[in-house]
Amino acid sequence: MPPIIDPKLCIACDRCVNICTEDVFYGSTKNEIPEVTYPRECVHFNGCVDACPVPGAIWLRVPMSSMVVYRESSDYATPQGDPHTRSLAD
Amino acid sequence: MEEQLVECDVLCIGGGIAGIMAAIRAAEKGANVIVAEKGNARYSGCGRSGNDHFETYIPEVHGSDKEDFIDELLYTAKGEILIGRDILRAQFAKAQDVVELWDEWGIPMRPSGQWEFAGHAFPGRTLTHIKYEGRLQKTVLVRQARKAGAKIMNRIMAMELLRSGDRVIGALGVHTREDKIIVFKAKAVILGTGKCSRLYQGLTPGTMFNDGHGGVQTGDGRAMAYRAGAELMNVEMPQRHIGPKYFAKFGQATWVGVLRDAEGKAVGPFVSEPDRRHGDIIMEVNKLSPEQYGALGKGPLYMDCTGMSDEDAAYMKHWHIHEGNIGLVDHMEAEGVDPQKHPIEFSTYPLRGGGLIVANEKAETSLRGLYAAGDEAMGDISAAATFGWISGDSAADFVGTVEEGNVEECRATIDDLKATIDQLRGRDYGPDWEEANLALQQVMTDYAGKVRNEAVLLQGLSHLKRLKEKVNTEMMAPNQHELGRCLEVKNLLDVGELVFQTALDRKETRGLHNRPDYPFTNPLLNRAHVVRKEGDEAVMGWRKY
Repeated sequence: MPPIIDPKLCIACDRCVNICTEDVFYGSTKNEIPEVTYPRECVHFNGCVDACPVPGAIWLRVPMSSMVVYRESSDYATPQGDPHTRSLAD
Repeated sequence: MEEQLVECDVLCIGGGIAGIMAAIRAAEKGANVIVAEKGNARYSGCGRSGNDHFETYIPEVHGSDKEDFIDELLYTAKGEILIGRDILRAQFAKAQDVVELWDEWGIPMRPSGQWEFAGHAFPGRTLTHIKYEGRLQKTVLVRQARKAGAKIMNRIMAMELLRSGDRVIGALGVHTREDKIIVFKAKAVILGTGKCSRLYQGLTPGTMFNDGHGGVQTGDGRAMAYRAGAELMNVEMPQRHIGPKYFAKFGQATWVGVLRDAEGKAVGPFVSEPDRRHGDIIMEVNKLSPEQYGALGKGPLYMDCTGMSDEDAAYMKHWHIHEGNIGLVDHMEAEGVDPQKHPIEFSTYPLRGGGLIVANEKAETSLRGLYAAGDEAMGDISAAATFGWISGDSAADFVGTVEEGNVEECRATIDDLKATIDQLRGRDYGPDWEEANLALQQVMTDYAGKVRNEAVLLQGLSHLKRLKEKVNTEMMAPNQHELGRCLEVKNLLDVGELVFQTALDRKETRGLHNRPDYPFTNPLLNRAHVVRKEGDEAVMGWRKY
C-alpha cells in the first residue's frame, strides 16, 4: 500500500512525515526512515512526494481498488476484447 | 493528559482555503489570530494540491448587471445550491478583489497575462470561471498568513465550542499526536472545517479515504456548531459528484472531452467533440447520468477525450496538475492509460453528507462570535476564499466590541471531553474507529440514501442510535492518531442522526432527497430547513432563503 519509501534513497529528513495531513506516517521516529503506519489513509494527493528533496525516494502506489477503468479504444462499434468462451452444444 | 490554555482574538478552526483567508484578513486588521488545523495547513483541505478554476465576476467582461452572471452560475456550477441570492451577491461583490490579492501574493491567476475564462459553461453563453495555476496555493497562502502575523497550530483537532450566554468564547482542541488538550480562549471563532466525507459509503467502500477531498473532512464544524446551539440548514440534502471510476478525484470540468454512452453516443447535446473552452457541461447539468444510464442498461459512460489534439492533451494534463490531480495523472501514465486513445469510465460518485451552517453575507452564524466560511457555509473555491476573507474581516471587527470570555465557566464541557478521551484511550478491546465508521456508513447508505420513506428512515434512525450507544460505551483508540479518528466518527454520528431527523421532516421529494412516500416537490417547502439543538431535541423550522 502507498506510500513506498526507498530506504537506499531516503535521507530521513522527516519532511514527508510533517506534511501529511492524514498523518499516514504517525509514530515515526525523528530522523529515521519513516514508517508508513496508516497506508490505507493515504489520499494520493502527493504532499509527501512534493515535499521530498530526493527524487524517487518516495512514491505513491495506487491500490487496485482505485484503478481507473478505461475502454481499449473509441471504436464503440467493436466490442471490447474477446471473452474466450465457447458454448456447449445441446 | 496535559491541558494547555491558549489565548487569541480570533481562532480559525480549519486551515484550508477559507480558514487561512480568514486568518490573513483578521491578522491584517490587527487581531491576534490562531489557526487550529488537524493536519498540516500547507497540505490540507480541498485546495491542498491545487485548483484550476475560480468563479469570478468582472464587470468589464460580464457587463454591469451581476444578476445575469448569477443566473448563469445557477444553471451550471451552482445548479444544486439551495441558498439565498444575497449570499451570492456578496460573494461576487468581493471575489475579483480576492483574485487580485491572490495574484499579488504569488498565485498565478492569469498565467497567460489575460484573464482566461474556460470550462463550466454552455457553448455560446457566459463563462464564469477563470483558469488559474493553483498548485502551490496553500504554500503561498500559509506564507501570507504568517507574514500577516497569524500563528498556525497544526495537528490540533477542534472538537467542541465553548459558550457563555449567547456567545462563543472559545473552543477545545485535541492534539492528534501528543496526549494533550488545548483550551482556546477566543473572542471570535471561525469554522472553516470543510465538507462531510466518510458519512456514506464511498466510491470504493472498502477504502474510506478514496475521496476527492482527502478523507479527513468529517463535518466537524457543523457538528460542533450544532452541539453549541447554532443553526444548521438542509442537513437532509446530500450532494453527489462525478468523475473517474474508481480513482475519486474532482476536476470534472478540467477534462477536455465528451461524455459518451456505451455506443459512443454523446449523453448531452452541448458538445460533440473535445472543446477546451467549455468542457462538457452535461456533467454539471446532470451528475446522475452515469447512474441513470447504468439503470437503463445503456452504460458504461465514458469521458471520451479521443480526438483531442496534442495541444489539448498537454493543456488538459497541465490543468489537471493544477487542479490537484497529479496522483491521477501519474497513475494513468504508469498504467498506460492515454486519454487521447482510451475513453475513461466516469461514475456518479456516491452521496456525501449535506447540510450547511447557516451564515449570512458577513459570514455570521446564529451565535454571536461564531462565523463560518467555505464548505461548511457554501461550497466551491471562490466562495471559500471570498467568504473566508469576509469572515476574517467580520470577526476582526467584532473582537473590538467584546471582552474576552471566562473559559472556566465551561469547565464541565472541558472535563466531559477529557473524560471521553480517557475512556476511549483506556479501553483494552472494542470497536475501533474504522469498525464504527463502516457500521455508520452502512446505515446511512441503506436507510438515508437514495430512497427514503418514513419506515426506512425510522428504522435507520433507531439503528443509528444503537450504534451511537455502542460507540459511547465501547469504542476504543489504541493511540492518539486513532483517538482523532474516533472523535471524527462521533461527529459523523451526530451529523448522521440529524440527516435522519431532518429527512423525516422534509415531506417532499427535492433534488437528491428522494421520498417516494411524498413524490412531489412542494413549492411551499422551497425554503431553508433550519435546525437547532434545544436540550435533547432538534428543533426545526422553515425559512425563506
